[in-house]
Amino acid sequence: MKLYEAKPGYTGTISSIDGDTRFLSRITSIGLTEGCKIEIMQNEKNQPVLLLGRDSLIAVNRKDCERIEVK
Amino acid sequence: MKKTIALLGQPNSGKSTLFNGLTGSHQHVGNWPGKTVEKKEGSFTYENEEYAIVDLPGTYSLSANSDEEIITRDYIADGKADLVCILADASQLERSLFMLSDFIGLNVPAVLILNLMDVAEKLGKKIDAKAIENRLGIPVIPFVAADKSYYPKLLETLKKALTEKKLISADMFETYYANETEIPFYAIKELLTDCETDFRSSSWLTIKCIENDKNILNYCKSQLTKENYAALNSLVSNIRRGNLHTGNCKFAMIHDLLKSAVNSSGLKPTLSKFDRIATSRIWGKPLAIGIMLLAFIVSMILAMPLMGIGSAIPALLCEPLYNLLSGIGVPAIITSFVSQLVPNILSFAFSMCSFVMAVTFIFSAMEEIGYMARMAFVFDSLMSKLGLQGKSICAFLMGFGCTIGGAAGTRIIDNWGQRILAIALVWSVPCAATWAVMPTLAQIFFGDSTILVLIAILLFMFIMMAITAKVFGNKLAPKETRVGMIMELPPYHKPKWGHIIRTTLSKGLDIFWRAIKVITVVSVVFWLLSYTNTGNVEDSIIYKVGIFIEPFTKLFGLSWQTFMAFVASAISKEAVLGVLSALYTGSGDVFTATFGTVGTASLSEILPQVISKPEALAFIFACTFNMPCLVALASTHRESHSLKWTVRIALYYTVMALLLSCIVYHIGLVVF
Repeated sequence: MKLYEAKPGYTGTISSIDGDTRFLSRITSIGLTEGCKIEIMQNEKNQPVLLLGRDSLIAVNRKDCERIEVK
Repeated sequence: MKKTIALLGQPNSGKSTLFNGLTGSHQHVGNWPGKTVEKKEGSFTYENEEYAIVDLPGTYSLSANSDEEIITRDYIADGKADLVCILADASQLERSLFMLSDFIGLNVPAVLILNLMDVAEKLGKKIDAKAIENRLGIPVIPFVAADKSYYPKLLETLKKALTEKKLISADMFETYYANETEIPFYAIKELLTDCETDFRSSSWLTIKCIENDKNILNYCKSQLTKENYAALNSLVSNIRRGNLHTGNCKFAMIHDLLKSAVNSSGLKPTLSKFDRIATSRIWGKPLAIGIMLLAFIVSMILAMPLMGIGSAIPALLCEPLYNLLSGIGVPAIITSFVSQLVPNILSFAFSMCSFVMAVTFIFSAMEEIGYMARMAFVFDSLMSKLGLQGKSICAFLMGFGCTIGGAAGTRIIDNWGQRILAIALVWSVPCAATWAVMPTLAQIFFGDSTILVLIAILLFMFIMMAITAKVFGNKLAPKETRVGMIMELPPYHKPKWGHIIRTTLSKGLDIFWRAIKVITVVSVVFWLLSYTNTGNVEDSIIYKVGIFIEPFTKLFGLSWQTFMAFVASAISKEAVLGVLSALYTGSGDVFTATFGTVGTASLSEILPQVISKPEALAFIFACTFNMPCLVALASTHRESHSLKWTVRIALYYTVMALLLSCIVYHIGLVVF
């Protein structure tokens, strides 16, 4: 499922990330890569999704969450 | 020659804290040539030797997707620094070592600084710096940038590192890329052996080619034969999403590096109760505004004593100074000049810098604590419509108090272009002085309808901001560089008050001198223009100029008197009433009216007789949206360190205010 569809409390791994070089570079450098374990902390409409990955609280804006698959 | 040390690190790794800690006041802030990116340089002396230090723009990696990244990358990869200090946030070590992993492969001496060790310890993380050092082959220092006691050890390490010139042992890291089946690492590397420079190894170039880095590919193109470049191109174009693969390698490398060096108590970060509210869709914004309001009140309380001193200066100094000077037989013109000018300049500078210091203090504390990132989070979607980061909301809210404070508050925005844009927008927000003066004026002309005028001003503020964002937005925050929010929210931690106070004082002192300089120049000009030896305003240059341009200002609905008051409103909003009173009632002189305070009691009787309602409304709007005040101009220059942009913004507001005046005047003619 897409990252923005995941409910708070959901734990899983990132299965795929898509997008242009710029986006891939940005999302990788914040620590989110394929196979990275994540936990959704908060997901409310009109707000970035808040998740826990690599020991950090990371906010990812909703539009970009469409390019990230989790399972 | 002076050795140069460069600071490299992701945003929030504490780079600027370290920079300030090392350089103190020995710093120079400017722009990278031809780029809208801030350049921070400084120096420090250790054991009688001076070192230059460069704070590179905060970026998340060494790719080439933005001006910041290109500047940072080129600076490092061209070997311009003798030593690179790579900063990592020890409390989120795995994630923040990404910069280090991206650096590996560059043959530049480096030191790894594990900052925020105190926070890491609080979170139950034990980090064995020695183990990391042994594995990497470069010095690794546990550090707390806001704590002075950590600096001697750091300085000693830096000095040693500059002579030993240790490089990261890159060889052992190659295997990670070689083992990744999706990327033909060695095939590409073989092609690139001729492209190596003193600082860029072929492995590093290979990784950048895999990541489809256009700058590096172009560089390789210039170095390779046609056949070899074609071979490289075909290898690279077969790789899909290269960044993800190299990213995996980098994090695998970091993981192994930290495996035996970090002992975590297993305490998992969670959303605290406070954080749930702070980031909530419903409660996040009210909480943020509440906290800002509180911050505002605290700022005011902190600023009050200094402001009090400031406003008391003219009363205390003017007369004694006058008596003293005239007593010792100084010519009247100089006596009048000095006794009026000096106290007023001091008073102005004092009051202005007090609020800036208070705002700097509060904002630094909020940033240190980690709350600012939450604010950025809840206001992201709203502020991104203006092309800004969420946390710029703080600057606007402060702008209601004082534009100078608002401009100083934009310091929290880490992108230079966005910061200028935010300052330009803060100018649209009517400050407390405006909110005090305009109702008084409106009351005189519109009586019970005053509230409508104020609502119109407030509504127009949003329109003005939208227009300003349109006018400057494309240049300062180009659409293609606007990226959605992807950032980490740092764990909360106790602020280091000593560090915050040092920052505040140096900032306050700086703005104080700057304010004095600007106010002095403008006051002298204004004083000369309004000086008369008869005391009659009609003998002053200002009067003659005013009369001369009146046919022109009439177009905007301004008489020469209101036009002069409009000009004064760019110096300070408080001046408006004083100047009107001086010009229409002939009481007091224009200069004291602008820079000091004079009684304005009789205004309510005289003004309605000489100014029509459309003119009054036009005048109110023109003054409100005119340049906020002189010191706002000075602090805009201080924050942007760009004369060009400061002048542009000032001209824009002057033109807009006159235009607005014209429009409102003509609408007024129809309505009233």
